[in-house]
Amino acid sequence: MASGTHAVSVSRPLEVQTATGIPSGKLGMWLFLASEVMFFTGLIGAYIVLRFSNPNWPGHEGHLSVPIGTINTLVLIGSSVTIVLSLAASNRQALTLARGWLLATILLGSSFLVIKGFEYSAKFTHHILPSTNVFWSCYFALTGFHALHVLGGIVFNGWLLSRTFGGAIWPPQRHRLELAGLYWHFVDIVWIFLFPLLYLI
Amino acid sequence: MSGDVRNSEFGMRKYLVIGMWLAGLMLLGVLLSELGGGWLPIPRWGVAVLILGLSTIKAALVALYYMHLQSDRKLLALVAAAPFCLILLALGVIFSSHLIRF
Repeated sequence: MASGTHAVSVSRPLEVQTATGIPSGKLGMWLFLASEVMFFTGLIGAYIVLRFSNPNWPGHEGHLSVPIGTINTLVLIGSSVTIVLSLAASNRQALTLARGWLLATILLGSSFLVIKGFEYSAKFTHHILPSTNVFWSCYFALTGFHALHVLGGIVFNGWLLSRTFGGAIWPPQRHRLELAGLYWHFVDIVWIFLFPLLYLI
Repeated sequence: MSGDVRNSEFGMRKYLVIGMWLAGLMLLGVLLSELGGGWLPIPRWGVAVLILGLSTIKAALVALYYMHLQSDRKLLALVAAAPFCLILLALGVIFSSHLIRF
């Protein structure tokens, strides 16, 4: 075992027999994510319909910083890598390493929100609000709901990290880490579409 | 070195390589967006289609390898695909309405 890792005493993951062969929590998370796809599709669909009905969209009033958006996208992609590495570490029972990658995910997610906060702050300083025009209404609605999802993921990951301290048994946390990972990757996928739609096209 | 550790290291390397692909494809999209206006002989809508195509590839990479849809049970892939069937239906309704009105 590599140095810097800590083996836990329980070697088998928590396995519960279900009719589908899929743990209930995992199936439930996928069903929840399917409903979330519909939620964001409604928002993105509305944006695309509005966008197509106005050829001059967004015009000179709708400028977003591509370098800042690019950095934020790299940060979120990085956080997807760290959480999947955390799950991989937990699968081989390297608890310390799994904690480290999970903490890195939380920090990267927080960085994403801080950068987004600076972007919002710059817009507000220039008196750009959701009520300014329909482009900014869409921008604040789409990025605001996405940021709330990122915040939810950070809280979930932070709670999970706290549960791995104080002698908590690892296998249930490993199962939850898989669920946290699924949710976090979904948030990443949403941003993968939001970034080009809002910043590039 | 045990087989488990070797598999685990292979998995970690795979995750890192996919992460680099995600970053590379994203930067390619930014480059297309910045150069598409004048440097490339592609109309603006063509650039938009290319960029959204790159996004679809990135989303597929995340879903297949990071969310493990590639190796997980097929039922989960069906659950994941279900909303996209509804989206196609909604798109059909939207664009048919668009054709009727114009």
